[in-house]
Amino acid sequence: MPKLTLKRRGLMAAAAAAAIAAAAPAAAQDTPKIGVVVKIGGIPWFNAMEAGIEERAQELGVEATMIGPTSADPALQVRAVEDLIAQGVDVIGVVPNDAAVLEPVLGRAMEQGIHVLTHESPDQQNVDWDFELASAQGFGEAYGRRLAELLGGEGKYAVFVGGLTVPLHNAWADAAIAYLEENHPEMEQVGDRYGVAEDVDASRRTALDLMRAHEDIGGFLAFGSQGPIGAARAVQERRREGEVKVLGPFSPGQGRSLVHDGVLSGGYMWNPKQAGEVFVTLGTMLARGEPIEAGMEIEGLGTIDPDVEGKDIIVDQLVEINETTVDDLAAMGL
Amino acid sequence: MADMRVRIGGTEAWLVAVIAAICLVLSLTTDTFFTLVNAFDLLNYSAVNLIFAAGLLVVLVAGGIDISFAVGASVVQYLTAITLMQIGGGNWALGFALSIGFGAALGAINAGLIHHFRIISIVVTIATFNLFFGLLMFFTVGVSIYLLPDWMISRVVLFEHETAAGWAEITLPVAVMAGVLLATWVLLRRLSIGRQLFAMGDNPEAARRLGIHIGAMHYLAYGWLGACAGVAGLMQAHYAQEVVPNALYGRELEVLAAVVLGGARLGGGRGTLLGAVLGLALVSITQNGLNLLGVSPYAFRMIVGAIILVAISMSSESLGLLAEKGRRLRGIHRPAGDAR
Repeated sequence: MPKLTLKRRGLMAAAAAAAIAAAAPAAAQDTPKIGVVVKIGGIPWFNAMEAGIEERAQELGVEATMIGPTSADPALQVRAVEDLIAQGVDVIGVVPNDAAVLEPVLGRAMEQGIHVLTHESPDQQNVDWDFELASAQGFGEAYGRRLAELLGGEGKYAVFVGGLTVPLHNAWADAAIAYLEENHPEMEQVGDRYGVAEDVDASRRTALDLMRAHEDIGGFLAFGSQGPIGAARAVQERRREGEVKVLGPFSPGQGRSLVHDGVLSGGYMWNPKQAGEVFVTLGTMLARGEPIEAGMEIEGLGTIDPDVEGKDIIVDQLVEINETTVDDLAAMGL
Repeated sequence: MADMRVRIGGTEAWLVAVIAAICLVLSLTTDTFFTLVNAFDLLNYSAVNLIFAAGLLVVLVAGGIDISFAVGASVVQYLTAITLMQIGGGNWALGFALSIGFGAALGAINAGLIHHFRIISIVVTIATFNLFFGLLMFFTVGVSIYLLPDWMISRVVLFEHETAAGWAEITLPVAVMAGVLLATWVLLRRLSIGRQLFAMGDNPEAARRLGIHIGAMHYLAYGWLGACAGVAGLMQAHYAQEVVPNALYGRELEVLAAVVLGGARLGGGRGTLLGAVLGLALVSITQNGLNLLGVSPYAFRMIVGAIILVAISMSSESLGLLAEKGRRLRGIHRPAGDAR
């Protein structure tokens, strides 16, 4: 027995020594270390973002990794950010599941001198900058306009968002609904918005239920990467291709066959790979103490006009997904 | 009547009453709930969860618990899809054989750890839950598979009927679900090994002394759940037409809650298939009804949670406990009365 204890103690000491040894050189180096926590791992959107992060990191010669939690749970993101703080990274990037839940932990990161960047979360507190490749207003309105076009300016539609607390999806929904209410008063929204669009099964089930509850529903507006796919599958199952329109940002590779089948009408997106690159570009600039000012030309963002008060950098880099563009976008691995 | 009472226990009868009440309200308040199409919709999208529930019930009856089965099903989806692509396509028979085989193998890992190392099942399956999911994410790097064999993703409609409210369809997952439920019923109610599972769940030591092979029972229970999970995974990939690593993640608690709601005891030895089906039906019907009623999605979880609480706390068992408490209270007063 004592032998065992001794052995165990020896092992623990060795492990501790190894940990210290591993941590020491990282602190000594001055290549910026960037960690990006996304909403959820393993879905194509964030796989593309990861590709962008890795490619750009290689170009700039910095260390950057992406962490994808197993489910779209803000608590898991908080833990991932805490891990990054403990690792002593220079820059933390986050695509928040819940802006408010992440506020305190991002504050702790900033107290420790870590730069914080967010994406898809305008007006986030406790950040150096939040960047958007599409303005919420412009993006939402583009969808509102397209839906009205497809429906001929009348009829019922339902709105899905990724979660009822995802700020950006809700801001898009706000803009789209406001646009439709103002310009097409004959169009009617069905129910409140449904927080199912990050889950393909839940989107499908909700869309089936809604088509049942509202026989004359004309379209689904789904903000969230799995929402348009789930809703389109439901429309296909119900054999109402073309009759019920489905619009939303989705991964072109995943939705390609649905677009060609005429079930998924398409949508607008920005390139998540480009967003991944911007995380690394901006992160490197922050880590090296370079200023970010109005009128600058930044790769991936174009000419910027940052809102210093709200700490937002918002540009409009929309890409339209439709029958002609979807294959090219899919070929990019999206 | 006596026969009916034997077959339909208190929890089940109570669940039937609650479900009937909800259905009645929904039929009166919406004009779409009580239609063939809606009933078939409910069946189609509950099929996968029911297949999971049948498997999980067997493990619960045998006195174990498993929370790794849903991610296990994701692992099976990947293994099956990759194997099928390696051999150049395959067919349904091969798809089922592979899914059942891989699923049972994953279940056997759980059973082996639980039986040979005498570790409590929840600890083992928490570990394998993380292990399966970790391995899956590591080896797939989170990449989904969209290019599945054609036979696997083309919809199989077994029954269709056009009604005023649209097409009513029964699809393949429903038939498979019926098959799995029937097989599980035969196992638990008609075979002696099924009775042995109940015996082991109720009192493992007594079962061992009766000469029941505890090890074999563990392998049977977890292997059965693994095979069911494999089949459920195949069905989910079939209708989702893609394999996504985290598509089933989180499903385990949803199913576990529904099966326990249906009267299966977490300590083992008790549980019926009917109860498990009713537990799941209650949750699915509530969700469906809320959508049809146009209730704000912000209120969904609150209402589903409240209905589960009401259903559990008002079950005949808890009512019986209350009644007994009442009798005891009266019992205390009676001697005082006698003394007078």
